[in-house]
Amino acid sequence: MFTTLRDLLRYSLSFRFGTIILLFAALLIVLSFFSPYEPDDRRAVARNEAPSSEFIFGTTSQGQDVFWMLTFAIRNTLIIAGIAVTIGRGIGVMVGMLSGYIGGMFDRIVSSIVDSFIVIPRLPLLILIASIMRGQMTIFALGLMIGVLDWAYPSKRYRAQVLSLREREFTHTAVFSGMSSWKIVIQEHLPFIVPFLLADIVSGFLFAIGIEVTLSILGLSDTDTQSIGSMIYWGNYYQSLLTNKVWVLIAPIGASIVIVIGFYLVSVGLSDYLDPRKRLLRLQVKE
Amino acid sequence: MTLLRTYILPRILQWVFVIFVGVSITFLIPRLSPVNPVENMIGRLTSFQSMDPEASNRMRETLTDLYGLDGSMLDQYISFWGRLLRGDLGPSFQNFPRPVNDIIGDGIWWTVGLLGTATLVSWVLGILLGSLAGYFPNSLWAQFLEKTVITIYPIPYYIVAFVMLMLFTFYIPAFPLVGGARGTPALTWDYISSVLYFGFLPAMSIILGSTAFRFIMAKALTSTEASSDYVRYAELAAVPQRKILLYYVIRNTMLPQVTDLALSLGTIFGGALITEIVFGYPGVGYVLFNAINSADYNIIMGITLLSIVGIATASLLVDMIYPFLDPRVRLR
Amino acid sequence: MVRKLVLLLSLVLLAVPTFIGVAQEPQGLPVDLPREDLFVFDQIFRYGTVGNYNVWRTGGNTPHHHALMLETLWYRDQESGEFIYGLATSDPMYNDDFTQLNVDLREGVLWSDGVEFTADDVVFTVETIKATPELTQSGWNASLNQFLESVEKTGDYSVQFNLSQSNPRFHNLFETRWNGIYMMPKHIVEAVEGDLGAWEWTDPVVLGNYIPIDADPNGFWELFERRADPENSVAGIITGNAGPKYALSIFYGDSSRKAIAMSRGELDVYFDVDIESFETTLDTTPTARSWYTDFPWAYPNEVSTRQLAFNLEGDPLLANADVRWALALSLNMVEMQTEYIGGVAKITAIPVPPTASLSKIYHEPMEEWFVNLQIDLGDGEMYNPYDPTVSEQIAAWAEDQGFTVPGTPTEVFGYGWWKFDPEAAEKLLLKAGLTRDGSGNWLTPEGEPWVLDLQSPPDENDAFRVANAASDMWSDFGIDVSLSGLERNVWDQNRFVGQYEIATPWTTFALASGDFWPEVQSRHPKYYAPVGEDYRPLGGNSELRIQDPAVGDFIDAMAGLDPVSEENFEVNRDFLKYWTENMYFITTIAFKKFVTWDEKYWTGFPTAENPNYMPLYWFQGGKFAFQNLTPVS
Repeated sequence: MFTTLRDLLRYSLSFRFGTIILLFAALLIVLSFFSPYEPDDRRAVARNEAPSSEFIFGTTSQGQDVFWMLTFAIRNTLIIAGIAVTIGRGIGVMVGMLSGYIGGMFDRIVSSIVDSFIVIPRLPLLILIASIMRGQMTIFALGLMIGVLDWAYPSKRYRAQVLSLREREFTHTAVFSGMSSWKIVIQEHLPFIVPFLLADIVSGFLFAIGIEVTLSILGLSDTDTQSIGSMIYWGNYYQSLLTNKVWVLIAPIGASIVIVIGFYLVSVGLSDYLDPRKRLLRLQVKE
Repeated sequence: MTLLRTYILPRILQWVFVIFVGVSITFLIPRLSPVNPVENMIGRLTSFQSMDPEASNRMRETLTDLYGLDGSMLDQYISFWGRLLRGDLGPSFQNFPRPVNDIIGDGIWWTVGLLGTATLVSWVLGILLGSLAGYFPNSLWAQFLEKTVITIYPIPYYIVAFVMLMLFTFYIPAFPLVGGARGTPALTWDYISSVLYFGFLPAMSIILGSTAFRFIMAKALTSTEASSDYVRYAELAAVPQRKILLYYVIRNTMLPQVTDLALSLGTIFGGALITEIVFGYPGVGYVLFNAINSADYNIIMGITLLSIVGIATASLLVDMIYPFLDPRVRLR
Repeated sequence: MVRKLVLLLSLVLLAVPTFIGVAQEPQGLPVDLPREDLFVFDQIFRYGTVGNYNVWRTGGNTPHHHALMLETLWYRDQESGEFIYGLATSDPMYNDDFTQLNVDLREGVLWSDGVEFTADDVVFTVETIKATPELTQSGWNASLNQFLESVEKTGDYSVQFNLSQSNPRFHNLFETRWNGIYMMPKHIVEAVEGDLGAWEWTDPVVLGNYIPIDADPNGFWELFERRADPENSVAGIITGNAGPKYALSIFYGDSSRKAIAMSRGELDVYFDVDIESFETTLDTTPTARSWYTDFPWAYPNEVSTRQLAFNLEGDPLLANADVRWALALSLNMVEMQTEYIGGVAKITAIPVPPTASLSKIYHEPMEEWFVNLQIDLGDGEMYNPYDPTVSEQIAAWAEDQGFTVPGTPTEVFGYGWWKFDPEAAEKLLLKAGLTRDGSGNWLTPEGEPWVLDLQSPPDENDAFRVANAASDMWSDFGIDVSLSGLERNVWDQNRFVGQYEIATPWTTFALASGDFWPEVQSRHPKYYAPVGEDYRPLGGNSELRIQDPAVGDFIDAMAGLDPVSEENFEVNRDFLKYWTENMYFITTIAFKKFVTWDEKYWTGFPTAENPNYMPLYWFQGGKFAFQNLTPVS
C-alpha cells in the first residue's frame, strides 16, 4: 500500500498536486479546532475589512473573520459531502452492479425500485422535507438525506457498465472457472468500474455541495452552522456583490473550486494507476 | 416475439408501476407537510383585516369544499385518480379557480425550451470537446481546456448565474432583467428574436456548467477507450485519426452518454428553480417552489407528475434502445 | 482536421444565438412606450393569475388594482390618520346603538363606460356579495352575512345599512386597510350568467382612472392606460390631476434586481429594499430619493411595529413577568437602532407606531405615565425603567456620524424606551430565582445553564436585524442565546403551534384611525391554544399563549365602543398600560420602508417636504400618489 502511494506521489503529477491540495484542506480543517472565534460569533472583529495582512480573506459586514469562518465551512461541508457520497455511491455501486450482473427477475424488481426512487424530483422533495423538519436539520441529517436521494441515478450508470462487462471474454472465463457472482463482481468487474467511480465520486461531492448551497440559498438548511453554502447565503443576503465586497464570496467559492480540483487530480492519478487497460500500457512503456 | 414477451412487455409494466408508485408518493408527501392550504389561504385573505371566528369558520368550510379536501384521505385519493385519468389536474388553491393545466401550460414551454436547448447544446459541445481532449491528451489546448473546465465545473450554479446576471445586466447593462420574451406570442421575427434575447443569459449559465460536466465525462471515457487494442491497431494501420475518433472511439463511448442524455432530458420537466429565480424566467420551477411553500397540492401534483412521467419514459426508451446501440449487450 | 471541424461547429453553436441575442437594442422593458408617458412601478410580487379582474372571487388580486382601478367608500391615510373620501362624501353616520349606518355618496363619478355611479351600485354590490358564498375575497361574504340585515338606497346618492347586531365597526369593511369592499358596476354584473365565483372578467369597467390593456401571462407585469375622461374618476376628482398616460407594474425580483433596474432607468419606484441595495441606489442613481433626501431616508410612518415576542409556555421562566422585564432592561435600544438598523427607523416601547396622528392619541398622553412607571426589583426596591431621552441619544449619534437630523429627535426617532440597565436586570433575575455561575453566565433555578431559543426569518430584514441585536446583547448579559434564522414558512409554522421560545413577529395594536379592537381582538384568551396545537382554526391569534383574563376584559370593553371616540381611546390606553406592566412582548422599532422614487422621468410623489399622501402606493390612501405624478419636462 505504502509503496503504491509512494510511487504514485513520485510518478504521477496530478496525484501529487491533488494530494497537496487535499492536505492543505485537511490542514485548514485541523486549524478550525484552534480557531480563536466561535463559529457563530458576530462582532468578533472590525467590519467590512478588505483582505489585508491582519485578515487574510477580509471580514464580513457582521464582523466575522472570513478566514476562520472558512475553516469551519470546509469542515462542515466536507462532512456533509462525505456522508452523502459514502452512502450514495456505496449503495449505488452495490445495487447497480449486482442487479446488472445477476439480471433476470432480480434485476427487474431492483430496477423498478430504483426507477421509483429516481422519478421523484429531488429538489421539491428536499424542500418539503426541510419544511417538515421545521428548522431542525443538522449537518448529519442533511448528509444522510442527500446520500439517500443520490444513490439511484448513479446505480443506473453502474448497471449499464456491468451490462457491457458481463458479456466480455474474461467474465465468461471466470464463470466457467466456478467463481461466485459476488466474487466476479468485486474482483473482476470492480477494477473496471473504479475509474468511472472515482470520477463519479467527484461528481457526487459536487452534487452534495451544490444541493447544500441551493438549500442554503433558499434558506432551508441550517444557516446557523458555517458551511460553504451558508457562507454564500449570508454573503448574498448582505449583498456582497452589489456593494463590491466580493472577498466575502470569493473565499468560499475559491475554496470549493480548489478542493474539487484536488479531488479531481487525485482521482485522475488513481484511476490512471488502477485502470487495468492503462496499467498494461504503462508496463510496456516504462522501465 | 419472445423478445416482446420476455423483455418489452415486462419493461412497460415496470414503467406503469413506477409511475403509479411515484405519483402515489407525491400525493401523500405534501399532505404530510405541516402547512395547511386552507389555513394558509384564510391567513392570506385576512392578514390585514381581522375576522370574526364564526366568519372564518364559514370560510374554512367553503374553502375546504372548493379545494376538494373534504372527505378522508382515501376518498381524496380515489377522486384524484378519477380526475387524473380524465386529464384534469384540478384547480390551483392559491390561484383559485385557475386550473392547474393552465398554469402549467403557461410555464412549461419556457422551461422545456430553455432546458431542452441548453441540455442538447451542452451535450454536443461537451462530447466533442471532451473526446478531442481525451484522444489528444498531450496537446496544449487540450490541457488548457481541461484546466479551465475543472475550474468552472465546481462553482455552485447559483454563483455562476448570479455573477453572469451582475456582469451583463448591471456592469454592462446589455440584457433584460425579467421575462421570457417581449410582446405576445406570434410567429414574427420580433417575437422569436426576443425569445433568444431574453433566454440567452439563462441558457448560457446552464450551458457553462453542463458542458463542463459532459467534457469531463467524455474525456474520461475517451481516454480509457483510446488505450484499447483496436485503436492502437488502427493507428498502426495508418487509419486517419479523424476517422478513428469519429467512427470508432466516440461511438464506443456513446452508451453511457446517451443514457445520460435521455435521463437529463427526462428531468427537465422539474424546471430550473434557481435559474428562474435569478433571471426572472417564467418557467414552472418557481411556480413549483411557491406551491410547496403554500401547500398547493394540485400544482405540486401536476408538475411532479409531468416530471415523473418524463423521467420514467426517458428511462424506458433508453432501456429499449440499448440493445441496438451495443451489440454486446444481450438481454437475458 | 477533426479539430478544425469541431472548432467550427462549436463556434457556430455558440455564435449564432449569441449574435441574434446580442444584436438587440438593450432594453429590458417588456413594452414599447415613450418614457414621458409611461410610469413604471414595482409590482411587489408575481401574479399567479392574470387577466381576470373579478376581484371579488377567491384569490382575486387587489394590490395595484386598488390603486388604479377600484374604488370603495373611504380610504384612511396613514400620514394624517384622517379619512380620504372615496365614493363617500360623509363620515359613517351611525345611530345610537350602532345598528344602522348611513352614508352619503359622491355625485358626478362615472364608470369608464360613461354610466354614472349611484347608490344602486352600492346596494347591488353588497347584496350580491352577501348572497354568493363563492365570492370569498377577504371574507366579505362571511362578514356581511354575520352583520348585515339589509341595505337600501335612501336617495340616488345615499345608502342605509341595517345591521343584525350592534357593530360600531361595520364601516371598516368599506374603509381600506389592505382592501375594502370594492364596488361592482351593476349594469355589467347583473347581466352575468352562471357562477359569479368562476366568472372571468377580462374587460373591466372601472371607477378608477386606469384600465388594464395588457398583462404578462406569467404574471411579471401588467400595463394600464389612463381612461379617456380622468376628470370623471374618483382619483381625478380628488387630485385634480390627470396622471401619467400609461402605468406599468413590473416584478423584478429581490432587492438587488430592483436596485439594478432603477439604475438602468427601467423602474420609477420600488416599495422597499434592504439597506445595502438602497445604498447602491444612492450611489448609482442620483435622481432617486426616498422620503427624506438624506439621513434617515426611509419612510417611518407605516402603521406597524416589530416585537420580540415571548411564548409564555415555551421556556418556563418566560412565564414570569420579572424575567421578561429583565430581558427588556438588558437591551441597549440606542445601539440596536443605530448599529443594527442603521438609524433609519423610529423606536417605540408600545405596539403603536409613533406617527404624527397616533402619537397625539397614545405616545404623548402616556409619556407622563411611562416616566412615572415603577417596577419592584425585589426586596421592595422600586425602580423607574423608562428612559425618555433615548431618541435624543440617537440624534446625538446621528450628528456624530455627520448627519443632519431633519426635525426634532422626537419627530424623527420617536419617544423614549426602556433603560439599558444590566444591573437592574440582574436584580430581577435574582429575584426570579436564577443565579450566575463563575464566568457570569446565568443558571436556571435548577442549576442548568439558561439557554434561550430565538427564531427569526432572515427574509424579513428588520426583524432579523432586531433578532441579531437581541441575541448579541443577551449573550453579553450572560444568557446562552441560540439564534435560528428560519425560512419564512418554517418560522410561521413554529409560531402557529407554539414551537418556539422567543420570536420576532410584527404587529400593531392600532389602526391608522387609532382604534384598537380589530387588531387586538384576536389575542383574547378565549382563543387560547396550548403548545402543540395550531391556534388558527380557533379563529384567533394565540401565538403568545396568553390565558390572562384581564386581557379579555379590556378587549370586551372595547368591542361596543365607537372606534374614534375618546372613550375608546381611554380604554385602549389603559389596555396598553396593563400590557406594558406585564411586558407580554418587547416592542422595539416601528416599520420603515425605503420607498424610493426616481425623478428621472416623473415627479410629484409624496416626500417629507411634500407629504400630501402616504408614499406606500399599494394600499390605503397611497393610491393617490400615482394620481399626482407629472412628467419631468
